[in-house]
Amino acid sequence: MPDQLIFATEVFLNGLMAGVLYALVALGFVLIYKASGIFNYAQGVMALFAALTLVGIMKGQVPFAHLINAVFGTHVHYFGWNVPALVAIVLTMLVMVGLAWAVNEIVFKHLVNQEPILLFMATIGIAYFLEGIGDMMWGSEIKKLDVGLPQGINLWIDNVTYNAFGYGFFIDNLDIVATVVAAVLVFTLIVFAQYTKQGRAMRAVADDHQAALSVGISLNFIWVMVWSLAGFVALVAGIMWGTKSGVQFSLSLIALKALPVLMLGGFTSIPGAIVGGLIIGVGEKLFEFAIGPMVGGATENWFAYVLALVFLVFRPQGLFGEKIIERV
Amino acid sequence: MANGVRAQAAAGGGIVGDVVLEMENIILRFGGVTAIKDISFDIRRGEIRAIIGPNGAGKSSMLNVISGFYHPQEGQIWYKGRERPAMKPYEVALQGIARTFQNIALFEGMTVLDNIMTGRIRQMKSGLLAQALWKGKAEREETENRESVERIIDFLEIQHIRKTPVGRLPYGLKKRVELARALAAEPSILLLDEPMAGMNVEEKEDMSRFVLDVNDEFGTTIVLIEHDMGVVMDLSDRVVVMDYGRKIGDGTPDEVRRNQDVIDAYLGVSHD
Amino acid sequence: MVKSAMPRQGWDIADKGGVEVSEPMHASSQYLSIPAILRRNAETYADKPAYREKDLGIWQSWTWSQAEREIESLAIGFLDLGVSEGDFIAIAGRNRPHFYWSMVAAQMVGAIPVPIYHDSAADEMAYVLDHCGACLAVVEDQEQIDKILDVQEQLSRLKHMIYVDSRGMRKYDHARLHQFSHVQDVGRSKRDELTGELEARRSRLDYSSTCVMLYTSGTTGKPKGVVLSNRNIIESSIASCKFDGLGQNEEVLAYLPMAWVGDFMFSIGQAFWSGFCVNCPESADTMQMNLREIGPTYYFAPPRVFEMQLTNVMIRMEDAGILKKRIFGFFMDHAKKVGPAILDRKRVGGWDRLKYWLGNLIVYGPLKDTLGFGRVRLGYTAGEAIGPEIFEFYRSLGINLKQLYGQTEASVFVTIQPDGEVRADTVGVPAPGVQVKVADSGEVFYRGPGTFVEYYKNPESTAKTKDADGWVATGDAGFMDGTTGHLKIIDRAKDVGKMSSGKMFAPKYVENKLKFFPDILEAVVFGNQREECTAFMNIDLNAVGNWAERNNIGYASYQELASHPRVLETIREHVEEVNLSLSEDPMLAHSQIHRFIVLHKELDADDGEITRTRKVRRGVISEKYEDLLGALYDGSREIYTTTEVTYEDGRKGSISATLKIMDAAVALDGKMEHMAAG
Repeated sequence: MPDQLIFATEVFLNGLMAGVLYALVALGFVLIYKASGIFNYAQGVMALFAALTLVGIMKGQVPFAHLINAVFGTHVHYFGWNVPALVAIVLTMLVMVGLAWAVNEIVFKHLVNQEPILLFMATIGIAYFLEGIGDMMWGSEIKKLDVGLPQGINLWIDNVTYNAFGYGFFIDNLDIVATVVAAVLVFTLIVFAQYTKQGRAMRAVADDHQAALSVGISLNFIWVMVWSLAGFVALVAGIMWGTKSGVQFSLSLIALKALPVLMLGGFTSIPGAIVGGLIIGVGEKLFEFAIGPMVGGATENWFAYVLALVFLVFRPQGLFGEKIIERV
Repeated sequence: MANGVRAQAAAGGGIVGDVVLEMENIILRFGGVTAIKDISFDIRRGEIRAIIGPNGAGKSSMLNVISGFYHPQEGQIWYKGRERPAMKPYEVALQGIARTFQNIALFEGMTVLDNIMTGRIRQMKSGLLAQALWKGKAEREETENRESVERIIDFLEIQHIRKTPVGRLPYGLKKRVELARALAAEPSILLLDEPMAGMNVEEKEDMSRFVLDVNDEFGTTIVLIEHDMGVVMDLSDRVVVMDYGRKIGDGTPDEVRRNQDVIDAYLGVSHD
Repeated sequence: MVKSAMPRQGWDIADKGGVEVSEPMHASSQYLSIPAILRRNAETYADKPAYREKDLGIWQSWTWSQAEREIESLAIGFLDLGVSEGDFIAIAGRNRPHFYWSMVAAQMVGAIPVPIYHDSAADEMAYVLDHCGACLAVVEDQEQIDKILDVQEQLSRLKHMIYVDSRGMRKYDHARLHQFSHVQDVGRSKRDELTGELEARRSRLDYSSTCVMLYTSGTTGKPKGVVLSNRNIIESSIASCKFDGLGQNEEVLAYLPMAWVGDFMFSIGQAFWSGFCVNCPESADTMQMNLREIGPTYYFAPPRVFEMQLTNVMIRMEDAGILKKRIFGFFMDHAKKVGPAILDRKRVGGWDRLKYWLGNLIVYGPLKDTLGFGRVRLGYTAGEAIGPEIFEFYRSLGINLKQLYGQTEASVFVTIQPDGEVRADTVGVPAPGVQVKVADSGEVFYRGPGTFVEYYKNPESTAKTKDADGWVATGDAGFMDGTTGHLKIIDRAKDVGKMSSGKMFAPKYVENKLKFFPDILEAVVFGNQREECTAFMNIDLNAVGNWAERNNIGYASYQELASHPRVLETIREHVEEVNLSLSEDPMLAHSQIHRFIVLHKELDADDGEITRTRKVRRGVISEKYEDLLGALYDGSREIYTTTEVTYEDGRKGSISATLKIMDAAVALDGKMEHMAAG
């Protein structure tokens, strides 16, 4: 195999892994959009918030330490214990469910039947509120997140590829874990939506509110459930991204990368979010590898958006989205 | 066809029992407009009860009051002997009052089978965890629910569209699927909001037959709204007549037909 | 089985006039009745499925031994209801195991099953019930019961009625009404008591006992009851199963009317003899889906069904993407070129075979699966001429679709196409054991093991149709093709007339040519004793409706679409194309259509314009639309008319319309010439 091709293959594989992470975030968007028609701008911040909370709980950080210290003149920062990762994840999940309940109870319950743009604005509000509250609760410094996921180069792949091509591929163990987790997550979500009573109810609510009410489905219950699910997906995404590049506020910006993913995959399709994420991940890495050097690099910043733009023009419903049919 | 069936049913006589729902002095206002003006009537177990009246008489408002979509400002609702507090529509549905809509409210993106299965929500007891494990009880429950849904599919003769997304169906069939979904709940009371609206003669006859058969086979109590007098008189055991939000008649079809107020209301208003 | 075209042994072909008669073939069967074969199957094929029916979304099945128990219980139930030997039992329902069981149970108690079209109107049903004097009717549901109750005063001999579906029946007086399952319950509980009687009656059945009586719909007059003996049915079944090598592993989907002889032959005669499984669809509307689920190996359908399925495929392809269309077009062209040859095991080049194999992988295979023909080994069509394009389409996909020519009076088989000798324009060679001759008048005659016993209570008709030597007049005109030895049918004998010039007028032939266009559903051609030919047409609402949708043409009804100027123009083009092809045939050039009308309503069996099997009733139509027919010949440009229609429930109404009379150009020797307007 010629060298260029070998390098390209490695880039391709790394692109796939990056794509999985994009897809995870996009998945959260799809869930909420499908069930309630809300485009949740706060999805990225939810991932950040989840990661912050997880780190905080694990390290036994005192929430709102700055505020407490400022008001009471104390100097508490840590409870002085460490919580095992698994327990911390469960606790964080409970926080996310609580958040889902609060968001629905305080905001969306009062915005039933409002214009989509209003709902969208509300999510922007929630995003900034969450970012602020996250900062206040856990502090704004960059934190390291380690829940025990394997990290670093996968030596087995390195060896195998070295023996085969005389060049060892660098594949991060974390990326492999992320891929497996994403696959399991998607599979579970699809089974949930198709085969359980709650899943059926969720699809029913997504389809027609009035009809859902008339068969005995509580809209509030479904919305809390959907926001909790999105919270769960955010937590998973937060863990992956946080482990990879540290828990920092720029994490909320990954939400913006999820946008082109959604345009590719369609806003209403779970498989679409996955495939869209992979295409963007691979596309931007390969593009950078092949074209980047010629144009002075940094194509990764804009490639995804240009690709999404092209899609908007030729296939506005995305790859897997429901066909937009205009009846005449 | 409907006439033949009707003759048989009348000859046999329906089995009508106690009062299951009682509306007492209901008053409903929207801002300054009073849609329902102090109306009382009752519904007996096993009967077909019609609410008729010209357009704008307040029939649909009454149905929405029963199904919890509207809440009356005054008056009481007695359901199975107990006074019913103000409830959300989904709570009313869970209590066993199922309904259809004049403009059809189905889950367009879901298949006919899935649509009807949602009607079984009331009968689905097992929690998410049990379902996740997908064993024993949850599985048996799913099979039981599927079986009773299949019986309804057979009953309403919609086997051929079982796996078809509802959005692709013609109007008449959608109406039938909506009826199927309401039936799947095994309701104590079935509310039908203009089940024959927008149908041609043949479809109307089919629907009439289904309504009668449902009442006959399952003993379902049915409350229906129609403005097509002919259909109503053929189908129902008792009729409430409304006009401008007031009740102007209540009784068997024959009694109502002889009621002077009713005759005036219907002669004064053009109806189709 | 004889492979070569000539000479044939065991049966012979009689040409016009001269008849050579050889020893009639007798299959030696030790089983002399259907119940006797059932006993054999219950032993030999005990655990093999005999019946399947989709009910409540699930395929239920019965093995042969279970089927025998079900049938016996029913038969004992019949005994309990007082059915005597020689009684008639009417059976009206869609294809369900219950009704097949009822037929065999009837035979078992020495009674005669009479299947009736369950969609026939009350008075048609009354006529048949009265004519055979049925003592018992087994029907599907309330609808049928209501129909019979409506006319029960006329039916003094009808004692009991059995219904399968109990829905809506609760409030009926049950003195004479019985639920099917209850009758079987009684049968089960009285098994010990009545088995002796049942066995005695069963053992009295022989080859000459009546197997079934079937009423022919008949294009004229009242239906006639065709009596078919066990010999007729069993020998025809044995011969035809052998001819096509049908075995115990076939799967069929029973969906054609049970009152039709073909269904009796396939779903009882052949199914019992071969021991194969009969599958019943969930409802009439699910037939296409059930076809896919079952994947029959042996399939029968009238040309209409094949045509409809092809139309659906084409409509779907119209909506497909450009790439899909290209691929489909490419491989279908290839299939047309080599498919039939591959099917007939002729020599085909390796490259072509490879391309066909590839096509099968990505086009033909999936297409056959969607159509439900994935496993079809053998298909038949009959009843009407099939369009050559339609016929070739299926054959090119690798489906061995063949034609046969048959009649109720013949226990189906008169002629049949052997493998490798299949053509669109013939109906094959005489079936095994059958002799065929063509009279000077052009009428086709046959005799054979399946030849019917008589028309019940109608000796005149029997004598008119069947002569002392057993030759039966088919009523169809045709001729033996000199080169192939195959029979060609051109028309009903009585419809072949003469034009005023004295030349032959064969309307059916022209109508079929017109109907091969997907846009044209029905055509009725006139010209007997006239100088030129004219026609009435019905457009195909499905095909034309789809075209209209694609071209943004709105319409609210059949009538509106049928009178649209662009539709009329399209039909005119089709007519002119037919004229062009007719002009190439010196025998038929004079039958070109000069003027036509697209009718304002669809010809309907409820109005008596066509038969239930969709054969045109020419007499009825020319009387009913006398004014339109006049307009076709008096040079009018348009005509206003009012027509009575009958709705499904028997009510009457009327529709009126102003119809345009269309002129079509005629051709000379394959060249178009323009006729003077007016």
